[in-house]
Amino acid sequence: MTTDPHVSRRTFLRGAATAGAFVAAAAVGLEIRRQRVPHPWDAGAFPPPSEARVAVLRADSYDVDLVGIVLDGMRSIGADVSGARVVLKPNMVEYDRSSVINTDPRVVAATAEALRRLGAASVAVAEGPGHRRDTGYVVEASGLGEALRDVGTRFVDLNVAAAAAVPLHSRYTDLGSLWLPKAITDADVVISMPKMKTHHWAAVTLSLKNCFGCLPGRVYGWPKNALHWAGIDASILDIAGAVRPSFAIVDAIVGMEGNGPIDGTAKPVGALIVGDDPVAVDATSAHIMGIDPTKIGYLAEAGRFLGVADLERIRVAGDDPDRFVTPFLPAPGFTQGGAPATGGQ
Amino acid sequence: MVLDPIPERLARAKSSDGGYGSVPGAPPEPEPTAMAALALGDPDAVAWLVSNQAVDGSFGMTAGSVVSDHTAVVSLSLPAGASRERALDHVESVTGTNSAAGPQEPPYGWPWTDGAYGWTEPTAWGVLALRINRSGSPRIADGLDVLRSRECPGGGWNYGTPVSFGVDQPPFAQTTAVALFATNGLDPALTKRGQAMPAAAWRAEAGGLLTLATATAAFRALGDPLLTQAAALLERDVQADRSADTVALAWSALALGRGLDEAVAS
Repeated sequence: MTTDPHVSRRTFLRGAATAGAFVAAAAVGLEIRRQRVPHPWDAGAFPPPSEARVAVLRADSYDVDLVGIVLDGMRSIGADVSGARVVLKPNMVEYDRSSVINTDPRVVAATAEALRRLGAASVAVAEGPGHRRDTGYVVEASGLGEALRDVGTRFVDLNVAAAAAVPLHSRYTDLGSLWLPKAITDADVVISMPKMKTHHWAAVTLSLKNCFGCLPGRVYGWPKNALHWAGIDASILDIAGAVRPSFAIVDAIVGMEGNGPIDGTAKPVGALIVGDDPVAVDATSAHIMGIDPTKIGYLAEAGRFLGVADLERIRVAGDDPDRFVTPFLPAPGFTQGGAPATGGQ
Repeated sequence: MVLDPIPERLARAKSSDGGYGSVPGAPPEPEPTAMAALALGDPDAVAWLVSNQAVDGSFGMTAGSVVSDHTAVVSLSLPAGASRERALDHVESVTGTNSAAGPQEPPYGWPWTDGAYGWTEPTAWGVLALRINRSGSPRIADGLDVLRSRECPGGGWNYGTPVSFGVDQPPFAQTTAVALFATNGLDPALTKRGQAMPAAAWRAEAGGLLTLATATAAFRALGDPLLTQAAALLERDVQADRSADTVALAWSALALGRGLDEAVAS
């Protein structure tokens, strides 16, 4: 990032431009929505995506120098977080000791440490688990609590944190506005830190889908069913457009394939994917998973207004992404634009 | 007896108008205010709730097209009278939606938000609210049917999905504890199976204060001998957890004090 991106992010989130009323049939797929409204977003709030920078960095295990790798990644994309209040948003939707559901706590803690070294004014980690109401259980059982204490980093439970209704600047759903925690809206920089996983309704869950966990369960419930029923792809677009992460760091050291996002199996990839455009990071990650990003409905659509989804337009630093391509088994039952009864990040 | 620090800590989330926020500094909301009212018997909290009841009798939070519904738990904190009756009318009228676009068939249960699916915890609160203050409601049987249908293999409940894409999903101690307040006395076999879950898992899941508090409260209500051990751990952890939110603190106060059953009956 060049000048002060942090202020512009806050300005965007607090902006007065209210999403206008949008009348349409409820919970329709993206195609129907696009037929009715070719550009369902406020142009002023989403300037045309420019250059995106993504770094793919080898990380063979969680025991290597993760701080150094994250530093390399952030520097190679030109990230400037000096003086910024940073919030890291990992994926802690659920915890199962026998599975790899979560962004590994070691990656989260290493990122917190790396950002401090890059001059961040403060770093906090925040999450609102979608299945477990007791966030404290997830944080402690997963080891995230201990990892954060080791690096002196605060955790914010987004399911209970102070929040306010924020108008949406995109209209893929009929949600109109969303409750967002102040921890998110007041942050200068939000970094979405997903686990690389397949997802039975969204194909993949990466940095955009991970934004679901920013919304408070005390309003949307456990799970956040109202958002899924608003259309999974459409909700991903509106929520990611509201959270607007500045950066994304994907934990692909070990991903999850198959019956994701909860019951899949471990899939080692051996990489961290870092970028200043979450759409570009997700497109690159999908490519590494052996999935054509143009075939992922919400990701292709996000490339129209939220970031760069075209692999040809992404400036890649670090290692060659093709060296990490590791085809993931898709999630069974994946149905594009389905109407799920539940769902996780 | 409620530990002294809990009321003091709850008071930090109380606003000048009597309502309670989810955490200190947050604006008041219905659910934490209701839980604080139940835990502390705070008349200011009750007054805030009465003055913030919607025209349709509900209590919730609105953002755009999504409206959360906490009416059932709030109704349990209200004294007998018109406000509680309006709340119960609303509770009786709300049903979960079976599918986004298919035919609607019972059982329905209660959703977290208007128009959504019925889930474990709101359904438990719906059943409990009606069995305490409107015991003749046919919705009690509907809610119980939902809880029976969502029981995890082996007993207990998670958020409400016992099987996902062919894979058995594990129960959670926290949601199971809340559900047990609904089933206790209405379905002994279901309750017994459910009770075994937190009895076996409460220590493993005690890393979260909310889980420990709700499990302890359930042990108290069910006369489970584990109450002594769980309460001792809760007393220790509630002192140690300085970031606990209002709902978790209120559950802690209930678990270590008069219990939810007595609170809703008073």
